[in-house]
Order: sequence, then structure tokens, then C-alpha cells
Amino acid sequence: MVIDLDRCTGCEACVVACHAENNIATVGEDQAARARAMHWIRVERYYEGEFPNVKTKFMPVPCQQCGAAPCEPVCPTFASYHTIEGLNGQVYNRCIGTRYCANACPYNTRFFNFYNPVWDKPLDLQLNPDVSVRSEGIMEKCTFCVQRIKAGEVQAAAEKRLVKDGEIQPACVQSCPTQAMVFGDLSDPESEASRLARSNRATRLLDELGTFPKVTYLQRGSWHDNENA
Amino acid sequence: MLFYRRNFKSWIRIAVVMGIAGLAGLVVEHGLAAQDQSAATAAPESQVFTPAHPTVWSAVQEFFNYRPQPVQPIQFTHKVHLANGLQCVMCHVGVDQGPDARIPSDNFCMTCHRVIATDKPEIKKLTAYFNRGEDVPWQRVYGFLPSAHVKFNHAPHIRAGVDCSKCHGDMTKQTVAVRAVDHTMGFCIECHQQRNVSVDCVTCHY
Amino acid sequence: MERRDFLKISALSGAAAALDACGNPEHQLIRFIPEEDLTPGIATWKPSVCTLCPAGCGMLVRVMQGDAEVVRKGQLGLLKMGLAKKLEGNPAHPVNEGKLCPRGQAGLQVTYHPDRIRTPLVRSGPRGSGQFKEVTWDEATKQLAGQLSALASGKQQDRLAMVVPPLRGVKKSLLGAFAAALKAPAPVEFAFLDGGVVAAADAASFGPAEPPTADLGHSNYVLSFGADFLGTWNSPVAQSLAYGRMRAGRPGKRGKLVHFEPRISLTAGNADEWIPCRPGTEGALALSLCHVILRDKLAPAADAGHAGTLIEGWAQGLPDFDPEKAEQQTGVPAATIVRIAHEAATHQPAVALAGDSATAHTSGLFNALAVNALNALLGSAGKPGGILFTPAWTPSLGKTAEKSQAGGTLPALVKRIQSGPDAVKALLLFGANPVFAAPAAMQVREALEKVPFIASFGSFIDETSILADVILPDHSPLESWLDDAPVSGTARTVAKVAAPAMEPVHNTRGTPDVLLDVAHQLGGEAATALPWKSYDEALKAAFAPLQHEKGSVSATDPDEFWSKVREQGGWWSAEEKSLPVGGGKGSGVAATAAAPAFDGGADAYAFHLLPFATQMQYDGSLAHLPWMQEAPDPLSTVMWGSWVELNPATAKKLGIEQGNLVEVASQHGSVRAPALLAPGIAPDVVAMPVGQGHESFTRYASERGANPIAILAPMTVTGTDALAWAATRVKVARVGEGKIILFGARLHEMPEDVKHR
Repeated sequence: MVIDLDRCTGCEACVVACHAENNIATVGEDQAARARAMHWIRVERYYEGEFPNVKTKFMPVPCQQCGAAPCEPVCPTFASYHTIEGLNGQVYNRCIGTRYCANACPYNTRFFNFYNPVWDKPLDLQLNPDVSVRSEGIMEKCTFCVQRIKAGEVQAAAEKRLVKDGEIQPACVQSCPTQAMVFGDLSDPESEASRLARSNRATRLLDELGTFPKVTYLQRGSWHDNENA
Repeated sequence: MLFYRRNFKSWIRIAVVMGIAGLAGLVVEHGLAAQDQSAATAAPESQVFTPAHPTVWSAVQEFFNYRPQPVQPIQFTHKVHLANGLQCVMCHVGVDQGPDARIPSDNFCMTCHRVIATDKPEIKKLTAYFNRGEDVPWQRVYGFLPSAHVKFNHAPHIRAGVDCSKCHGDMTKQTVAVRAVDHTMGFCIECHQQRNVSVDCVTCHY
Repeated sequence: MERRDFLKISALSGAAAALDACGNPEHQLIRFIPEEDLTPGIATWKPSVCTLCPAGCGMLVRVMQGDAEVVRKGQLGLLKMGLAKKLEGNPAHPVNEGKLCPRGQAGLQVTYHPDRIRTPLVRSGPRGSGQFKEVTWDEATKQLAGQLSALASGKQQDRLAMVVPPLRGVKKSLLGAFAAALKAPAPVEFAFLDGGVVAAADAASFGPAEPPTADLGHSNYVLSFGADFLGTWNSPVAQSLAYGRMRAGRPGKRGKLVHFEPRISLTAGNADEWIPCRPGTEGALALSLCHVILRDKLAPAADAGHAGTLIEGWAQGLPDFDPEKAEQQTGVPAATIVRIAHEAATHQPAVALAGDSATAHTSGLFNALAVNALNALLGSAGKPGGILFTPAWTPSLGKTAEKSQAGGTLPALVKRIQSGPDAVKALLLFGANPVFAAPAAMQVREALEKVPFIASFGSFIDETSILADVILPDHSPLESWLDDAPVSGTARTVAKVAAPAMEPVHNTRGTPDVLLDVAHQLGGEAATALPWKSYDEALKAAFAPLQHEKGSVSATDPDEFWSKVREQGGWWSAEEKSLPVGGGKGSGVAATAAAPAFDGGADAYAFHLLPFATQMQYDGSLAHLPWMQEAPDPLSTVMWGSWVELNPATAKKLGIEQGNLVEVASQHGSVRAPALLAPGIAPDVVAMPVGQGHESFTRYASERGANPIAILAPMTVTGTDALAWAATRVKVARVGEGKIILFGARLHEMPEDVKHR
């Protein structure tokens, strides 16, 4: 995945799209106050400087799907593991809730179900049948909408072809009003995501930790990049 | 400790402990329910949806994988329908298109049974449901537990040429469907390995 | 939720839910025969229209089969039906091109809200007590028809009033026709955020009385005067799409965004330069930019055409607005003004936008006219990369609709009600919530309490509908026939229509159908003026003329046209076209109008109160959706509450720390909320989000946070009827400890490797 910070406005359409797609529970006021709100993708906001010279920056942070993920080796039950396609998988029925992975994650993108989630009826009718509803004691996180990836693969297989670039879009990418996010296969050098990941604006978050994140951020431009400026 | 192999004695111990815990849970629940009677009388149906086990007893049942065979409201006979030349997909539409197969509604059944075998007692039951505007409350036979967090998609299996009977047993011998095959993870994995398809966890668990 | 509550809930659910291991509830509730045989697990995508803000985005609804608990013929049971599961933008739609903002996506929760009104209600306790009893639709419509025919037989139809949110398209025509057929005054349109000032300014400067379509995607320089165009203003999704293209859509070209406002909004946060100016002086700032452009001969005065000549002193080069004078008035350094003017004039196409607080001061109309003049001078009116005016679709429902009179404003209606006993005998409410969204000083609640009969068609019991005598709940938007005619966001003429995406979950009825039904019950002229059996017939009739226009749908006969239009989610014109901009009708405005007036003396009330619409709750109409409560506000990161935004220096002076409960008091009342210290706000301004502070608006929004609208002064924007909601001065004091829930930044400081270069 590539996220262009020059396009991102921090509007959080991705956050709500993720909630709707992935059956993420609303934890309520009291739990939110204890920092237990679950946002698989969140928008970080930073202020720099003091009035009146204040700069604001937004950065959406989903699970970085690290190549060398700190969350994986610490799991005693192999619930967090590396999938064949290179995602950081989270197998809910293996998870026993030690929360070691959340402690190990430098990006703070893992969320623990401290209680069984509750939907006031009939709000449960909004639940996506393609995604399981997690229960108490389970760690959960961004899956790059693995249900959409699987559906795309099944569809391509049914039509006896390969998955096309841009065919599969996680909910956040689909919703982004400024088209700041691009999703694609990094192992295919021709994909749009690979092409953007080679941009001279490309950086990776906390790269110095050696986690090899699969989310590439394109740095914000400045007006001086403009050839007319 | 839960991950070690146990002997029979330790199962009994766990059963006793869980039984006591279950009883205690029921007492607590009933106490609280009694305290909150106004809410309970105003709303006899459950007002929330939660993946929580409705009772401790149901959690215990699930832990020991105790699932009684369902009792169907009508003794539907797969045997006769198949013997009369019907195919599975005629009623279970969509099984080759997507994740789930359709369980036909009364409307669908009545397209034939308005005229066919109307005198049989089970068809009379069906007609009674239909006339009341009710669908037959079929009970689920297979299906994974929510806590298995597993997603199954019929269509790719059908496309791969897996026979229905591989997972559902020989329906030409069954009246109402019974749980003929135990859908354990081992059962799935074995076939996946034989056919050289992915056994990656997120193929099914998400 | 406390653990105790949680236990209670699990106990309650335990008492009722099934005990077998599958957890299937089948055997308790009866199952109804499904109305259509759907294949489970397979999603169908149905076109729909987002109705949550005036942008009018096109949606696709993901519909899948599911089991819903519904009441049919008085009995509760399970029904297999198509259920909306997710809302996404319609990729074919010219306004939003497949994208949708967070609010639009949360529209799903309107349909499934646990506190939606499920069946018609009649008041059973004292007015405002919230006690209602359930009745049948026949009883409810009979009550309504009875009241209306009593008015008719007493020749008192002028004593009927209707309050609606701003409407467009066929629904507007239908309500107008309904009012006209009843010989009642036209509906009063009311919303806290309305584009009235901008539309009035555009009519005066350029001719078209509508908000502009900003063609940001082709702009090189964007000047925004208060308009939070990436957040809530006008058509945010269309503007966000264009913003993305402006930033990174053209290789080698990157447009610049400069935002003027005393507080960092979502748009200001994304600007290359955020320039705080004194509240209400945006017009003076715009004219100062014009002054520099004229003085330095970057463009001749005549370029601005009528929009320029409107401003007094234009031909003389605006002597009152030289940068030094402007610095004193606006607080923006003269050198900055000169620099920005030069940058904008030499990096065309450049575009200027005015909106939100800039147009909600007493000087709001002047500010908008000044920004229009700047646009005209920059040569961007009606040009690519500038502001365009979309030719609007105005459907016709026959002669009666055209006859309908002007409805007047909410303050006028309040005056009418208070002019004497029974001046207004019956009031119909169509989803607007003026008791919440109008200042307490306007006394809307007091006025409504005097009306003998109030009927509400809303889906929720809010501050206004709680006063109703009878509630005839509308379908949710996803269950309704919808139509819209957006005038901004694209240069194509758009006429949208969508069939219901799903069957109703509750015992509700579409309001247009109820009105048709009531008109037929009344008989006579009302019945002949509204001949359609149902709303979709009226829609089909209104859309029929479009078959012969050049657009997105081609068909040979009306039925084919109608089915294709529904399939596509509407009709839009083949070509993009801007209305001509030379037809401005306004007359001169004095330069002295640039000075804003404020309610409250600067000595006693030291701060400007800046209310603002939030990304999640908008104007408060979405505060009842749990997703919108728990999604953090993008800037403050506050969840489940409201706040008072203060500059840290101001807070220090007042002895206020983050999270302290503070009281914000104007001459018209006071509200309390926790303090949030943020660097992006001027020291003499306090800002409060609009949207929370509902007294009664479902379990999620009631008694949560504070409503700053309540303490606003009832001042109007000079030259219009619009509320000047940014013109109130307040005092601020710490009153105790408070609680604020912040999502915060989880990485604590922005990692070095993704900072600005």
C-alpha cells in the first residue's frame, strides 16, 4: 500500500470505511476514555510551531504489514504469523489474549477486545457477513481487508485469469476522497503501488527499526516543487 | 496448562469446576435480571447483539463440542426428491455462485406442492405454514461456531469439482439432513493438502 | 460501558437467546415468508443518494441477504430480506466519482439506529415530556387529515406552517405543490449551515444564485477565506477529489493552498500557509489583495466586470484597502498581503473561495462579494481552474407547484406564531430541528409550544419533534425513493433518483406518499393538484422531459428511459458547462460595510466565539450515530464529547489547563465544556464545535457535550436573513475539573522520516 501524504487531508473517511467493512466494535465513552477505542486505521495529527506559525500534518496509520514484524515472534500461540502472501496474519481462534504482540508493535496498530463487543439491535444488521465478529480476549488489527483480497482471488480464479492491478481495494483505499491511497502487489514491479513505492518522495514509517513495512508513505510536497514557482 | 494432553481424571476435574462456575454464573445473571425487571418486561426480546455466549452453559457445551442433532419442523425427505430426479442446485440455488446455498422458502416449495402429494401429513404441515404466511423454521445442520472465526465459500469448492457428498454425506440416503460428516479443521486441511491448495491460515480464518 | 452494565446486558441477552450450541435463534421467533428469494452471501450493489448534507453525492449500497427482526401485521418475527451492509460512492456519479466522506458512510447507522421511531406515535403526556403512545397509520393520517380539513373548512389555510430542511429537486416541488394545493404558505426552509449568503453574493456579482463549483483540479493557486472545503463546506467530496488532483494529479505541477481564518480547520490544516486574520475581516483582506493587484498593474480593474464595480472605490483602485490599512484591520502583515497577491496573480489559474465563518459575520455578504471581486479580477469566474456555476435542474410538477408562495424565514415564522393566539394553528415538521439549531434567543421552542397542533415526519425524537402531537415516521433514506439536484461539485447538470435500496425495517411510511395520501383524503383541489398514486409516479413524471436532453441516458421510450435512469442512479448532462457570469444584478456596496459588528462589549466579553461544524457530527444532525461519536475529530482527536478550543497562551492567562471544565458565557446564556488547548487558534478567539449538546436525541447523543448555538446572539448577516453565527462575543472562565476524551497521536511525535521536506 502506498499513502500519498500530499493528497491526504486527514478527513477520516478511511476510518469510518474500515469500521463499516470490518465489523469493528464501538466501545463506548468509558472504554474510549481508557484508550481502548479500536481504529484499525487511524489518522495521526501533529502540530508544529506556535501561533501564528503552526504547521499541521496528518498521517493515516494502518497496520504496516511489516516484512519483519515484531508482533509475530512474540506470539506464544502463533496467532500472529506471516502469511504466504506476506501479510501479518492474525488468527482469531488461536489468540488467547496475551497482548504480547500489541506491546511489541512499534506502530500501535493492534487492538484488544477487553470485553465482548455489543451492538444495540438492530445495529447488528449492519455487520458484514464476510468478516468474523471478534469476541472478548482477542487481539485484532488491520488485515488489508483480507476478505476482499480472497474474494478478488476467487473471482479471478473463476474467470481463469490473474488478479488485475487495482482490482482489489481495501475499504480505506476505496473510500479515500482524495485518492491518496493506492493498493497493489509489491512483488509485481509493474503495479501502480510498486511504481509509486519507487518515487523519490517514498519513505517508510520508523524504517530504522528494521521492520520492513509494506506501507510506503509519499512525503508531502512543497510549493517549491512546482516548476512554475 | 490447557495445552497439554489430559487424562480422563483431569477432564472430570475441569467439568466439575466449570459446572460450578456455570451455576454461579446463572445465579449472578438471574439476580441481575431480577434487579432490572422493568427493562426486562419492557423488552422481552434481547436488545443487543453480542458474540458473548448467552449462558455459561452454552459456553460449556461449546467447549466440549457438544452439538445435538437439530430437530427439523418438517421431516423433509432429501431421498425422495433426489430419487425423483431433482438436482441439489435446483433448490440450493447459489451454491455454485457464492459462499452460501439458498434454503428454499415456502413459496419455492409450494410451486410444486400446491398440486403434488398434498395429502401427505408433512406436506399438510408445509401448507399450514404457508397459509399462515410463515416460513418453515428450518434448523441449521452444519455451520461453524462463531468462535471458530472461519469463513467458508461454497463456489470455489464446487468449481474445483468437490462432490457435495464429500462434506454433506450421501443425501440420497437421508430424509432430513443430518450431520453426517464432522467438519473439523483436520477434515478441511486433509483435502486441501491432497488437492494441493493453500493451507495458509488466512485462506479461511478472517 | 461499566462491567456491571455489561453483565446486565449479557444477562438480558442470556435470558432470551437460544441455548443450543449453534446459537441459532430460529426456534423462538416465527419466520415470515421472504418477499423475494435472494441468494445468501452474494452482494448486489444498488444506486442511492446521500441525503446527509447538501452536497448530494451518489452512492452504491451493498445489499446482502440477512435475517431482520421485523413486525408484520402486528407480530414480531424474522424475515429474510435484503439488508444494506455498506455505503460506497457511485463511481459513475459526476459529483463524487466513487468516493464518500465519513459522514456519508455512517448513513448506514441511520437506518439501523436502535432509537429510530418504529411506528406512528401520538403524544400521551404533557407536551415535551417525550411520552407517546403507538397508533396505527390509519389513526395517524386521519388525525393529520382532520386537522388540515378543519383549517380548510374554516378558511384558515394560511394558519398552516411547514418547516423543512433546505430541499432540492422533485421533493421540493412536491412539498411546494402540497402547500399550494392546500392554499397554505410555502414551507419555511431551515438549517444551521445554509449556503444562502454565498448564493446571494453570487447572484449579485455574477448572476446565478447558487454556490460555486470550485474547479480546484485545474488551479495553481487556491485562496480560501474561512471555507472548510475539505471538511464540511459545500460539496466536500467533490472538492477533496479536486484537491488531490491539484496537489499531485499533474506531474511537475503542485498547486498552493492559502487559508485565512482565525482557527485551524481541516482545510487550514492542509494549507501550505495558514494565515490567521481577525474574525470577520476576510472581505477587507480580499480587497487588500485586489488593491495590490491593481496597484502593481498585475491585472486591470476592468477585468473584474460587474463583480468589481459592486465595490465602492473599485475604479479608484480601492484606496481604503491598502496593505498597511488592511494590516491594522485584519492583523495580517502588509508584506504577507503583498506577497500573496503577487503569487496569486502570477500563478493562474487561481481561485478564491469564501464560506463558513467568513460568511457568517454581520459583514458576511460583503466578505463574499469581496471574494467574488477577487475571483473576477483573477480571471477565474466561469473559467477552468476557477469557480464555475452549474446549470441546475429544476423539475416541474405542473402549475400548482409554480404557484407556491415564498415561505419566509424561521425568525419570521416565530414572529408570526407569536403575533397572536392561533396565528398558526398547525405546524408540519419535516426533519428540521430548529429548537436545537437556532439560538435560544430566537425563542423557537417557546413559539412552537404555542402552536395547537404539531405533526412531525422525522425518524427520531429530537428537541423539536419531542414537541409534536403526532409523529408519522418517514422511511430512512435507504428505504425511500430519493431524488436530488445538486448544483455544486460538478459542471454537469445532475438530476438524481434512486429506488429504495431495501425494504423498510420498521412500520414507517415514505413522507411524500403520506402527503399524497392525505391530499387524496382531503379531496377537491388538493387531490386534483397531486394526482399521483405514489411518489415514484411523480418522480417518473418529473424526469420524463429529460429523455430528450443530451445526457448520460439514451432511450427510445419513456419506460426504458425511466428504468435506465434508476439503474444508473440518475441522469446527468453530456457536457460540462458553466453558466455565464456577466449577469450580476447587485448594486454598489459601501466599503464601510467591511467592518463586522459583534454582540457583547469587548470589555465584558473579551473573546470571539467561533462555532464550527465538525467533520463527524456536521451541524449536529449526525451526533446520534455511534460511528460518528467514536471516530476522533481529525484535529482535536476528541471522541464522545465537545470541547472549548483555546490558545495555550490565553488558557495560561485565565488559569485554565487542558481538560478543565470552562464556562463560555455570552449575553444570551452560557454553556460548559472541557478545555482543549490547541496552538492553531488566535488568542482572542475561542472555538466550539457545533453538533453535541443535544437534550434529547437518542441514547448516543442525549446529554452529551454542549451546544454553542444556544448562546449565540440572534444577529443577521447584513443584507440577508441569514444568521450571523460567528458574531457573538463571550467571556470564558474555569469552573472546575472536567473530562475530555482524546484519541491523541499514538506515535507521540511525528517520525522524522515522514516530515515535510
